[in-house]
Parts: sequence; structure tokens; C-alpha cells
Amino acid sequence: MLTQIEQMKLPSLNIYLILLSCLLGGRLQAQRVTGTIYERNETGKKSALVGVNVFWGGTSLGTITDSLGKFDIARSAKTNRLIISYIGYKTDTIKISAESNFDIIMKPEGQLGEVVVRGTSSQIDRLNPIQTEIITTKALAKAACCNLSESFETNASVSVSYSDAVTGAKQIQFLGLGGQYVQTNVENVPTIRGLASTFGMNYIPGTWIQSIDIAKGAGSVVNGYESLTGAINVELIKPDAREKTYFNTYVNNFGRGELNLNLNRKLSDKWAVGFLTHASTLQNRVDNNGDGFMDLPLYTQFNGINRWQYKSDKMMAQFGVKALHENRLGGQMAFRENMRGTSQAYGFGNVTNRVEFFSKTAKLYQDKPYKGLGLILNASQHNTNSYFGFANYDGNQRTLYGNLIYQSIISNTNHQFKTGFNYLLDDYRETYKDSLMTRMESVPGAFFEYTYNYLDKFTVVAGLRADYHNLFGAFVTPRLHARWQPLEHTVVRVSAGRGQRTPNALAENYGYLVSGRAVRFWGGPLQPEVSWNYGLSITQTFHWFEKHWDLILDYYRTDFQNQLVADTDHADALASHLYFYNLRGKSYSNSFQVELNTLLSKRTEVKVAYRLFDVWQTMGQPANDVRLAQRMMIPRERVLFNIGYTLPYDKWKADLTVQWNGKARINDPMKSLQATIERKSMPILYSQSFVNVNAQVSRAFKKFEVYLGGENLGNFKQPNPIIHSEDPFNKYFDAGQTWGPVIGRTIYAGIRIKVKD
Amino acid sequence: MKQLTIVLALLLGVVFSTTASKPGKEKEVKIKTSAVCEMCKERIEKNLTLSKGVNEAVLNLDDKVVTIKYNPKKTDEASLRKVITDTGYDADSQVCSQTAHDKLPSCCQKGNESHGHH
Repeated sequence: MLTQIEQMKLPSLNIYLILLSCLLGGRLQAQRVTGTIYERNETGKKSALVGVNVFWGGTSLGTITDSLGKFDIARSAKTNRLIISYIGYKTDTIKISAESNFDIIMKPEGQLGEVVVRGTSSQIDRLNPIQTEIITTKALAKAACCNLSESFETNASVSVSYSDAVTGAKQIQFLGLGGQYVQTNVENVPTIRGLASTFGMNYIPGTWIQSIDIAKGAGSVVNGYESLTGAINVELIKPDAREKTYFNTYVNNFGRGELNLNLNRKLSDKWAVGFLTHASTLQNRVDNNGDGFMDLPLYTQFNGINRWQYKSDKMMAQFGVKALHENRLGGQMAFRENMRGTSQAYGFGNVTNRVEFFSKTAKLYQDKPYKGLGLILNASQHNTNSYFGFANYDGNQRTLYGNLIYQSIISNTNHQFKTGFNYLLDDYRETYKDSLMTRMESVPGAFFEYTYNYLDKFTVVAGLRADYHNLFGAFVTPRLHARWQPLEHTVVRVSAGRGQRTPNALAENYGYLVSGRAVRFWGGPLQPEVSWNYGLSITQTFHWFEKHWDLILDYYRTDFQNQLVADTDHADALASHLYFYNLRGKSYSNSFQVELNTLLSKRTEVKVAYRLFDVWQTMGQPANDVRLAQRMMIPRERVLFNIGYTLPYDKWKADLTVQWNGKARINDPMKSLQATIERKSMPILYSQSFVNVNAQVSRAFKKFEVYLGGENLGNFKQPNPIIHSEDPFNKYFDAGQTWGPVIGRTIYAGIRIKVKD
Repeated sequence: MKQLTIVLALLLGVVFSTTASKPGKEKEVKIKTSAVCEMCKERIEKNLTLSKGVNEAVLNLDDKVVTIKYNPKKTDEASLRKVITDTGYDADSQVCSQTAHDKLPSCCQKGNESHGHH
């Protein structure tokens, strides 16, 4: 079957287009869909809703209802999913099969939370004034998605890499900076923070995740002041989900095995209970690069959530408990736990226990769906014990978090606001080798966020919060976001705002501890990190070759006023160093990204993205070698290509992702030592660039789904990921210079069984 | 990198073309069902689509007719009707399986035609 694309034979077309053109179907005829949108008032009478957004899912083809609640929209060639959204009401998605006229009655939202539109596998939230990408369960199913750290594989903005070659800890890269600068929330509660930032990405199993929102830029002030570059919010499967039972099992060629079981039951009209459980393990020692070290740590994780939910017309409440236990063991192949503290073999170990209580209560106003009062209360205890050869590192963190949010409107729904108070208590106790570090942070705060919306063409969110920190004093956090849709197919967003956080030097630079480095806090106590973030993004949709395309361009800059500098550049005859100190001078990150998405056919989605990170930091003061240097371990460039093919109801699904990662600045203590001896400035070294290829195929049957996939199919391995692997008790030993895959090709298979109502 | 991606794209292409519908051999049938709402539509479409030999199934809730595109070498109309009755719905004159029907949520059972179209 020849298509127009093939006939044109343009040289600019790439191989994928031509290969897949055999799949492209015929064109849909131009048709119109019309209808009227109502709400039902207290007496049960229908009344028309004015200004309701009606648009095709995943596109920016949209309209709003007129003064009689009527709409008239041209059919989209790209999708048959018409989305009806209105602030304060439940978003409706209607599958349009034949040309028709619809009467739709919208239902009040019934819970606190922003209106979020979900549909295709990953998309930009069209109406959100904050640039937000959404990863749905559909996109999560594109990869095995064992846990949150593996959920960003097909996302261009977030990339995840190992922090070192021993511990299995993973680090996010986002807007040119590390994951600690992104506020990672679970259901709007800041969760992966503090000591949990080390392994926290591994603590949220993929099967628990309903969706992930990635907001770029300063973000909302409602959830706190800690989002410096953006916010990732993970929504978990709810107790009243239609999937009553979800069982998943996974195994890969290295022997990693995983079991997940979700149970959700409605107990009555109002009550529901849910259990999300996970167990996984790797007990097989793997050393494929022959350096004598396990490429992956052995580990066992048990993880569970029990949640109770109550929903009535007047209120909604949920509460529950999360518990986690994880045990890791890594290092040299010969290492056994009883050799800890000896020089028989180099070993790494970690035991983490975490318990968390959470609750959310919201008062609803049936006749005023825009109004709500919500209270979030959380308490957690995180305990972690690690060793790296002879060095022990233990940490304990207790956290209390409360947030009281009131939302309403000023005269009409064009003027909304959220206001409230929150309180954060963090109690840290850490010991590294012989030094004890304790810190108690107590931070009460208040916030006000105003949203102005003009016909969804122009929206401004202006937020301000004031907090009083017991150690660092009072500070104010202003943030501004605006969204403007000057043309039907063009959306422009700008943002600016301040962020602040207290760094946790050891937990956030855990990978550097797997080394012979001498850790030193230099030049006075660490101050909070403070930054300003500015962003501009443009989303443009257009028609080209009879296809619908989305083009997203964005630029973000983060300017640090203070930052924790982790300096691994220096080594001398006595030691190789890991210095922690406060920034003195400039530190900034420029992030530029361009992303192009299209549906090549009804069943084939394609994404191409390019990302440039230009990140610099003033460093070197402890060795009197001050200069502006590129931030370590951040590849300057990255290219992502993803193609996915899906038959209806996921009967067959195939997905391929190719990533090219550019060079990153790295370090080698031996080269630093040489420079010190020769009285030269520290050497600037770069890694190689590399390609990573992942693919997966899955087949759904009536009662279950099977999948088979591969990661790192090109089998690229970083040469010598561990410096001095032959002599790990050497002071120049370093396993923290990991920029590429340590393990080679991974093949996995699994099964998903879902029982729905 | 290029060679690798081309090879993989070719591999995927092979997977696609073997699983993609072959329009020449395809047959189409329309069956009237006792579907009530969006949930019923999803249930019937899903069970049909995931059955052997079915390429596509689309149910129109206005007239409750499901249009099935299938490969006659792999399945036949009688099997397709059986899939619908086993799901708990009538297929033309064929009455649904009572046990499957009774397992449906009450809103999806017969006699609830008012439900679903809010």
C-alpha cells in the first residue's frame, strides 16, 4: 500500500517514516461534531454551561461553548477522543465514532485538585499554565517500568542514570541539574527528599503508578518552596479504581525477579480499601565487565501501602500507611556480609527501613464545585545504614508535614485562589565515619495563589508564600506563571520563581562515597540552596503531510544564589578529596529542548527530541584553583527517538526507544594527582558519548497480558567504570565516576493480570 | 548507531507487518447487542478484539451494533457471537449467557437502558 509520503520520496524523510508507511491508513473525511453542554442544578434541571473547553485529545484543536452552551468543532484526523473540560467539573472524554450531535451533562469535580486531562500515552497538559507533561499508565506500559526510576524512559525532559558503579542508586537529570532540585511528590505530598533522595526513585513500584505529571519551572507555591527546577507528582492507584486486582510478575536475564499485587475493594457506597504490594530481589552475582566488582548490587525489597478511602457528597477522606524494607549488598564478587570491616574484600551494604502515615481530608461543597477545604497530614520515619569498605554511614530522618488548603473563587470562576498554611518538621541525625551531624528544621509557612483565567486564552497564576525557618530565618517565595494562546494552534508559557532547599550532602552524593576519597566540609556550615528559575516554552501544532504534529520548544534557566558544591576535582599525595562547600561565585544552568510528536497513523506514535544542557559552577576554592567549570556527570546533549505501535485494546504493542547521550565532564583522581604534582590546574576530562536502545513487545489476551523486552540492546558498557578496581582500598579508588551503563544488554519478560469490574 | 537503529527499525517493521491487518482477506460483520453504557462498550470491544482472528471491533452505543472486522481463516461469525454471549450480552437473536450476565455490575445488566448517557 503506497501512501502519499512514500510517493513524494523527499530526501528529508528518514528511514523510519518509509518503513512504517506501509501501516498508514486512509484519510478521515472532514466532518463536524456539534453539541450542547449542561450542568444539573440542585432542582435537577439542566442549565447550559458557558465557556466549557471542548477539544480533541492530545491536540490543541479546540473550541469553547457559546452563551447557549453549544459547540461546533471540526473532526480531527488524529483522534476520536473528544475531551470536555471545565474548572470545577469532572473532565469527560467521549469517543466519537460517527458524525453526531451530543448533549453532555457535566458532573462536579467532587474533590480538590487541578483539572488534568489524560488520554494518549504522554502529552502536554494543554490548559495548565505551568508547562506540564503527563505520563499515563499507557506510557508506563511501554517499558517494564519496575519502578519510578524506569518510568521516564520515553520522556525527553527527565533522564535517569546510575550515580555510581556499585550501589545501584539512581539520579534524575532535569533542566541540567540533579533530582534533588526537583520536588518529587506522591499525590502532592513531598516524598522523595532528604535521606530518601538516595534510593527513593526505586521505592515507588511502577505497577502502583496511575500517572506522573512533570511540571517544568518554578511550580506552584501550594506544596512548598523546595521545587527549584520543577515538580514531579506521582498519582498512585486509588482504592476505588475499577481494577480490583492487578498482579504482575517480572524476571530478567540477570536473575532479578519481581512480584506486584494490587487489591482494591469497594466496601460500600462510601468506603473503599486498597492494598498495593511489592516484593523484588536479585540474588545472582553478575560481573560482565570483568573488573571483579558486582555490576549490580544484590538486593531484596518489600514494600507496601494500605489505604482507606471515604467519599460522600460532603466530604472525602483517605488515610493509610506505607512501609518499606530494603537490603542491598555490593562490592567485590568475593565479598560476603561477614567480611564487613575487613580488608578481605571491598564491600558495600545498605539496609533501609521506612514507615509513613498519611491522611487527606477534604470538605466539599456540592452546589459550589469550585470551593473546597483540604487538609493533608503526613508523618514518616526513614532509617538507613550503609557501609563502603571501612567507612560507615548511618542516617535517620523523621518528618512531619501538614498542609491546610482552602480554594474558592472571587466573584466568578475566572478568578480563583488557593490559600493556606503548612508546616514542615525535619529531624536529621547522620553519622559518617566518626562524625555526628544533627539538624532539626522547623518551618511554618503560609501561601496564597491567585489564578486568573480569560476564556482559557490567557491564564496567570501568581503565587506567594512566606516561611519561617528556625535555622535560616524568614524568607519569601514568589512565583509567577502565565499561559497565552494567541492563535488556535499556538500556546506560549512563561514562568519565573524562587526556590529554596536545605542540602543533604552525603545522601545526595552517595555515589561519591564509594571511593577512597577523604570527605571534608570546607569553609563553614552549609547554607540553604537558593535559586531563581526562568522559563519560556512554545507549543505549536500544525499539519504536514496530512498528519498532525506537535512541536514543543522550551528554554529554562536556573540561577543559583547559593548552592552546595560537591567538588571531586582534587587529589594530592595525601588523599583524593571530596569537598563540600557553599557556592562563592556564579552557578547556572541553561536547558534548551525541542520535541516533535506525531501520530503517523491511528496506531503509530513517534517522538523525536533534542536537549541541550549548558551547566556551569564556580568551584575549586579549597585548592586555590578557582574557575567556572562544567557541572559533573551532566551530558551536554541528548537525542531521544521513540516509536510506538498499538493495536486497539493493546492486542499487540511494540515500542522502540533510541537515546544518544553526549559527553559529560568526569574526573579521575590519578589525573588530578598528576596535575597537583606538576602544579597545574586540575584537568578537565570528558566521558564518551553513547547510544542506548530499548525495545518491548507485548500481547494482550482477554484475562492477561505478556511482555518481552530489552534494555541497552546495543550492549554498550562503560569501559572501566571503577577507577582502581584492582585495589579498592587504595586512596585513589573511585566507583563514583559512572556516566554510562555498567551492565550490558538486559532481556526481561513478564505478565500482567488485571481483573476489572 | 545508524546501522543498529536501522536493524531494529526493520525488526519492528516485521513485527508490525505480521500483526497488522491484511485488508484483502478481511471480512466484516455487524451484530446487534444488548450493550447499555460506555463500560459495556469497552467490555464487548475488548473481549472481541482480544479474540483470535479479530482485527477490530467498534460498538456504536446509539444503535448497539458492533461492527467486527475479522480474518475468516481464523474465526467465524458463530464464534464471534459466542464471545458476545459469553461476555454477558445478547448477540442478535442469540440470548446471552445467564451466568456471565449476572456477574456484570447491575448498571450494565439488561433493562438499564437509561443509564450511562449522562
